Amino acid sequence: MRSCRQNFSVIELKHVFKRYPLGTEALSDVGFVLGKGEMAFLTGPSGAGKSTVLKLICLLERPTRGQITVNGQELGRLPARRLPYFRRGIGVVFQDNRLLNERTVFDNVALPLVVAGMTGDEVRKRVLAALDKVGLRGRESGFPLALSGGEQQRVGIARALVHRPPLLIADEPTGNLDAALSDDIIDLFREFNDHGVTVLIATHDLRQIERLKKRVIRLGAGHMLGAA
Amino acid sequence: MKAYFTRHAQVFMRTLGDFARSPAATLMTVVLIGLTLALPTGLYVGLLNLQRLSQGWQPRGSLSVYLKRGGADAQAVAAIRRVPGVATVRYISPAQGLQEFKTTSGLGHMGLFGRRNPLPGVAIVTPARPGPRSVALLAGELKTLPDVAHVQSNLVWVERLDAALALGRRLVAILAATLGLALVLILANTTRATVASRAAEISVVRLVGGTNAFIRRPFLYIGALTGGLGALCALLILEIGLIALRGPVAGLDRAYGTHYRLAGLGFGQALTLLGLGALLGWVGARIAIARALRQGEV
Repeated sequence: MRSCRQNFSVIELKHVFKRYPLGTEALSDVGFVLGKGEMAFLTGPSGAGKSTVLKLICLLERPTRGQITVNGQELGRLPARRLPYFRRGIGVVFQDNRLLNERTVFDNVALPLVVAGMTGDEVRKRVLAALDKVGLRGRESGFPLALSGGEQQRVGIARALVHRPPLLIADEPTGNLDAALSDDIIDLFREFNDHGVTVLIATHDLRQIERLKKRVIRLGAGHMLGAA
Repeated sequence: MKAYFTRHAQVFMRTLGDFARSPAATLMTVVLIGLTLALPTGLYVGLLNLQRLSQGWQPRGSLSVYLKRGGADAQAVAAIRRVPGVATVRYISPAQGLQEFKTTSGLGHMGLFGRRNPLPGVAIVTPARPGPRSVALLAGELKTLPDVAHVQSNLVWVERLDAALALGRRLVAILAATLGLALVLILANTTRATVASRAAEISVVRLVGGTNAFIRRPFLYIGALTGGLGALCALLILEIGLIALRGPVAGLDRAYGTHYRLAGLGFGQALTLLGLGALLGWVGARIAIARALRQGEV
């Protein structure tokens, strides 16, 4: 049963603790499993530890204690030199989208492919396909600052998905958007999930959680409150 | 392989674009590096010229053999040629010696010697084996010849000049090493500022799976290109300096009747300087980026 579950889990956290150097206990005994092709919301009030969980999953931080497995890789045993290759298996979307404003939309979306060593026509084909999926085909030569907030977030999503990662995580992707744009963005995530991408979204937007009726993992003050 | 070169070409072109976007800052750094490199390079070129000039004065380690006045100079020269260890002999007759003295001293018009020529015939002997010991032995042997009045070794002042030039070369090397270190620090600091201004970009590249080599690459290009352009600037400064000195040197040349022309760096030396500038820039950038990469590690 255990080995069967490992084969199908994309994210697995076991008794994870995270204490920051100044002594703040960000996470305390957090654990959950997200299976292949699942979509879930990670929710809780501000300071609950949602962002910390996402940072641990893409190894921007290391846990103080506990075990984390992502895409079949136990992160505690991942050597530093393998870290970039591990991150290529995850697409990340941020609330502030973190686009490079002095580069074109095309260059922003192409970044994960260029980083992976891809060049030429294949890059062009994949970037245009990704922009097409997020409804921004034809805007590739523009710069991020010329786009609206919703469009910038779409560029961020295109960048997160252009290299076809099996796992997509998003940290408050609708935090800066109005209700209609938020629906569009979350629907995009659902579409990708329908195509087999595992999706984990950290949000405190209860309306979206109610609307999509997907799995919910609740955190409060760094503790697990429930995983429905 | 093609993809590898394409990636490098893209980074190179982006680096040129970065330079074009901040021309004033780039120009200032390049000129600063140019001045830093021009100083030791200028001294090196000065030493090279001095060395060339000294080589033109006398055959290195030659002996001046003064012949007895009133003797048979032709027989004396023939006897000198027969001495083992003599490579070449150049005979300067008393008349030639006087003419040479008049030309080089500038006192020819004063008619100091009237019709009487006080100078003896001189044989300039080049030893077959250079070196102080062989030359001293040969001088001793030449002194025993009957028609020889005096033998003077030119080795002493050559040795002194060589010692002075060696000291000069050592000073240039110390100066070059010190300024090279300064150059590395200048470029490390410049790169560190660039790294700081691109911290957001670096964090995004990390997040999408960029390796340290990928993150490092554009900064290494910036360092190497800045260093290379700085070296090019140093070559320009040097060339301008040589052009400025050409007039006064020509004046001296005319006054002394020599045929000396100031020489700059050769093609190979110029290429070496360009390569050295690029290498120092690369090293400076590498130091700066290594620190930034360590700070971002988990």
